[in-house]
Amino acid sequence: MPGEELRELANRAVAEIAGAADDAALEAARVKYLGRKEGALSEATKRIAKLPPGEKPAYGAAVNEGKLRIERALEERTRALREARVARDLGGEREDMSLPPRRVRVGRLHPISQTVREVSRVFATMGFETVEGPEIEWDYYNFEALNIPPGHPAREKWQTLWISNPLGDDPSRPLLGRTHTSPMQIRVMEQRRPPVRVVIPGRCYRYEATDAIRESIFFQYEGLAIDEKLTMADLKGVLFSFARQIFGSDRKIRFRIDYFPFTEPSAEIAFDCFSCEGRDPECRVCGGDGWIEAAGCGMVHPDVLRRVGYDPKRYQGFAFGGGIERLAMLRTGAPDIRLFYQNDLRYLEQF
Amino acid sequence: MLIKVPVSWLREYVDISVPIDELALRLHMSSTEVKGVERPWWDDKVRVGRISKLAKHPNADKLQLATVEYGEDRPKTIVTGATNLTVGDIVPFADEGAQIIDGHTGERTTLRGKPMRGIQSEGMVLSAKELGQGEDHDGIQVLDRKLPVGARLRDVLGETILALELQPNRPDCLGVVGIAREVAAILATGLREPPVDRLPERTSRDLDVRIEDPVACPRFAAALLTGIRIGASPTWIQQRLIAAGMRPIDNVVDITNYVMLELGQPLHAYDHRKLRGGLLVARRARRGETLRTLDGVERVLHDDTLVIADADRALGVAGILGGEDSEIREDTTTVALECASFEPRGIGRTAANLGLHGSAGSAAARRFSWELSPDLVPVALARAVRLLREHAGAEVSGVMDRYPKRRGVVNVRMRFSDIPRVLGIEIGPEETLDILRRLQFVAAADGDTLVATPPAVRTDIAIAEDIVEEVGRIAGYDRLPVRVPDGPLPLHERHPLQEFRERARDGLAGFGLQEVLSYSLIDPAWLGMLTADGSCIAPEPLRVINPTTVAQSAARPTLRASLLDTARRNLRNRAGVAIFEIAPLYLPQRGDLPDERWTIGILLAGNAEPVRDGETWLTPERPWDVRDLQGYVLALADLLDVQTAGDQVDAPGLHPGRSLAFAHDGRRHLVAGQLDPRVAAKWELPAETFIAEIDLSSWLDAARPPRVIAPPRFPAALRDLAIVVDEATPYRDVEREIRAAGGTDLGSIALVDLYRGPQIGAGKKSFAVRLVLRRATATLGEEDVDRLVKRVAGRLQQALGATIRS
Repeated sequence: MPGEELRELANRAVAEIAGAADDAALEAARVKYLGRKEGALSEATKRIAKLPPGEKPAYGAAVNEGKLRIERALEERTRALREARVARDLGGEREDMSLPPRRVRVGRLHPISQTVREVSRVFATMGFETVEGPEIEWDYYNFEALNIPPGHPAREKWQTLWISNPLGDDPSRPLLGRTHTSPMQIRVMEQRRPPVRVVIPGRCYRYEATDAIRESIFFQYEGLAIDEKLTMADLKGVLFSFARQIFGSDRKIRFRIDYFPFTEPSAEIAFDCFSCEGRDPECRVCGGDGWIEAAGCGMVHPDVLRRVGYDPKRYQGFAFGGGIERLAMLRTGAPDIRLFYQNDLRYLEQF
Repeated sequence: MLIKVPVSWLREYVDISVPIDELALRLHMSSTEVKGVERPWWDDKVRVGRISKLAKHPNADKLQLATVEYGEDRPKTIVTGATNLTVGDIVPFADEGAQIIDGHTGERTTLRGKPMRGIQSEGMVLSAKELGQGEDHDGIQVLDRKLPVGARLRDVLGETILALELQPNRPDCLGVVGIAREVAAILATGLREPPVDRLPERTSRDLDVRIEDPVACPRFAAALLTGIRIGASPTWIQQRLIAAGMRPIDNVVDITNYVMLELGQPLHAYDHRKLRGGLLVARRARRGETLRTLDGVERVLHDDTLVIADADRALGVAGILGGEDSEIREDTTTVALECASFEPRGIGRTAANLGLHGSAGSAAARRFSWELSPDLVPVALARAVRLLREHAGAEVSGVMDRYPKRRGVVNVRMRFSDIPRVLGIEIGPEETLDILRRLQFVAAADGDTLVATPPAVRTDIAIAEDIVEEVGRIAGYDRLPVRVPDGPLPLHERHPLQEFRERARDGLAGFGLQEVLSYSLIDPAWLGMLTADGSCIAPEPLRVINPTTVAQSAARPTLRASLLDTARRNLRNRAGVAIFEIAPLYLPQRGDLPDERWTIGILLAGNAEPVRDGETWLTPERPWDVRDLQGYVLALADLLDVQTAGDQVDAPGLHPGRSLAFAHDGRRHLVAGQLDPRVAAKWELPAETFIAEIDLSSWLDAARPPRVIAPPRFPAALRDLAIVVDEATPYRDVEREIRAAGGTDLGSIALVDLYRGPQIGAGKKSFAVRLVLRRATATLGEEDVDRLVKRVAGRLQQALGATIRS
């Protein structure tokens, strides 16, 4: 077959390929011309062997050239068809992206867990280690070791849930639900030597009617720092830093006189109201007086130090304690403390 | 303890040069918590009225028509049901439109004139309750005759009251004089103490006083008063009692109460006729001794109860509750007036034993449970005697004061430098001395040393730190600088269980489960609802001896009940729940605190999908199943590097066919499965409720930190096998044998399919399993793979009688 004929064949093939409407037509054209068994070019290739030696090189070159042209056309057409398809897709139907997605389940930590962590994290920045201790306590740790012997009028401040052990009670060692995290002051000091810097979050119990701001089962955080030179000004600094990190760096802090049998001097800390900053007499967060009472605190009483074997002439320090729920409510605007423990998922899923 | 201090009463002892709001703030900051400042709220329409005429209501027997003059030209006629009025009485009158308290609801309301039995009432004469001055709603509050008719009540009776929450270390503040002492110190002004005549001791044939227990009763004074005429106390005393929240009774009782409110020291008056042997003695109760107390209760006294007795019998529980028999009556003429000092802890314990502690206690008992100074005793007695002479006709016929062991004077010696040592701020000696003297301390400098003696009433002052607090609070805590502490930091410890627990918490929340936190005290009845037959899955719980509610009376020994309760309540408003809780269980131990064992509880119930109720357009509805629960448990184990293993045991309360439990050392550390449907029914939960409980410290013990290796560099070969075994053979065995035969070239095993059917015959099942095979050092050749598969197949045939089809 002369080269002219081959060129004709290639021309036909290229034209057919260029006109292929879709991938199927393109594949048909490829098989027709380049197919291994019956493709026209393959036929032509087989013929090379039968040609006289003198014609072989020219014919072979023509076959190759035709093959190349057809392959190039196939490539081009393939790309063109793909591009057309993509263009069609891009220009085609628009998904309604406002339709809901395939939902992924979202789990959250309980707001009290979140707040406990936040408290630990903030105090950790000031070198306080988080430790934990028993919720069911001996009267000794909860009261006596904290200068609150039986009959002490301050016990009225910590109305107590008394606990009975089914395996037997010892009248000389009453069991109770700890009314505050302060017994851990004693336990920590019994186990460690100064310097001490710990924060203790945990559950506490009171014999108390519940209302929107009070629960009989609740969480507190306790702080304790003992060293040789810690003062009330350091206490103020630590709590000030805490307030800033929890409620923002514009916060102010206020100390007022208070009384705890296990601290002397004692104080109550209030933060200025982050919501109204003292400007709204009807403020729902602070009740209008511009201050939010947050915790009790003071310098650890020398008798308490002595009781755990610390020499009060050498060591001194401070302790503080506040409510976790109160922080959580202040941080989130949660309206009622009881909602935390009703575990209505419609509520918890908001935190 | 909340006390109410009328500002006008306070002004009697101290000049208040600042606005009351400022005073309140300064007291709050430096002295005692101010709960509120109560101001008179009566408006212009509440006036002083005078009853000028009383007439029967023509249409009602129980009503009267009262004509009231109130300063306007025309008097008003009102209809009243009160029976205590007489013509000429001065009364509070509310014109129509006035703000008053509704006598029934206790709420503030606007008075609207309305016809009563056909006659229009043009206003109202008011009871104490309607004035907001107490609970008395039986009769009209008759006022002092000297009050000017027509005056605004606010102007003549209006009283600003400080509501103060006292702390028990400050018994000196229990009286208005004590508050005045604080005000004087804060405002740096003088204090005028009330006039007291010294009462010389005078023995009497008709009264003697004895102390048998000088520890429980360190001081006991009494006066014998004759010629008493019982009657109403003067209006000014009544008004002050009312303003302070007490109800006037008669002159003798009112005066003892008045002195208590003024000085803080309670007194008790006995009708002398009832005193057998003319004796008052402070002694322990005798075994089995009984007493009918003022509240009408016949009480058997515990034998460590301190009583005040006469020669024969107990007259009252000392400091806590008087007896009925010896109380003052209308015809009492001779009074034995007791003024004593009691050991406060004993009072506290006895009051608690009688159920009369805290706010349930009498005003006297609450005060005596604080450490009142014995030095108040003669002062209060003299003050009361003076008032009784003036207002009850009393003549003194005997005075005695037993004080066998005088309380020592407290002298605090300290360094001035103790103040900056504790406070972290310099307060100079001069200022320190000034503050202490303002507080009526005797204070002096001796070089670097400060010597301070508190006034006798300040029983709270004993050590240097107490003085530091006094100086700090009066100087003002706002002077303390804010300082972040420096100094050496302690070495911190690791807390593996805490860390592990928090990883678990994050993991489960990350899986999409919502954390819940429920009450750790539960209803013990719940524990009987966790198995079909009511038997217990947990040890007998610790009980609350004095629960606030039975629903919170047992320390939970399992999380299961709390989770079921939470699920039940949530399934009322949603189709599915997926929750977890991490909390300690309280497991009783003999002679020790309970073992507080941290536990993870997981609960799935209702629909797993769609995630959002009703949103089925992409995901059809599907309930949770036991495989979901397994998935979460294993994923958690994976995340925490725990190999869950142990002895397989039963899981009480769960479906025996769809649950598993592992124990180690006899403790179930993992229980997971479907709730027994009979238990689910008790909780109104769907039969498909799934629950898992994990003992956290057991898992921590089982956790192994992973030995990490680099990711594989050579490709894996995959081989699928169909393994036909007896129906009874668990998949666990198949996997175990494959692992045993696979050696190090076996990567992972995946279950592709589980088939039962005619092709393999009855009683058989076929696991289609995909093996991922690879070697760390080279690409596995065809022959290696074939050899390994052959080995696995051989092992399965041998160990499990399996047939392998490929």
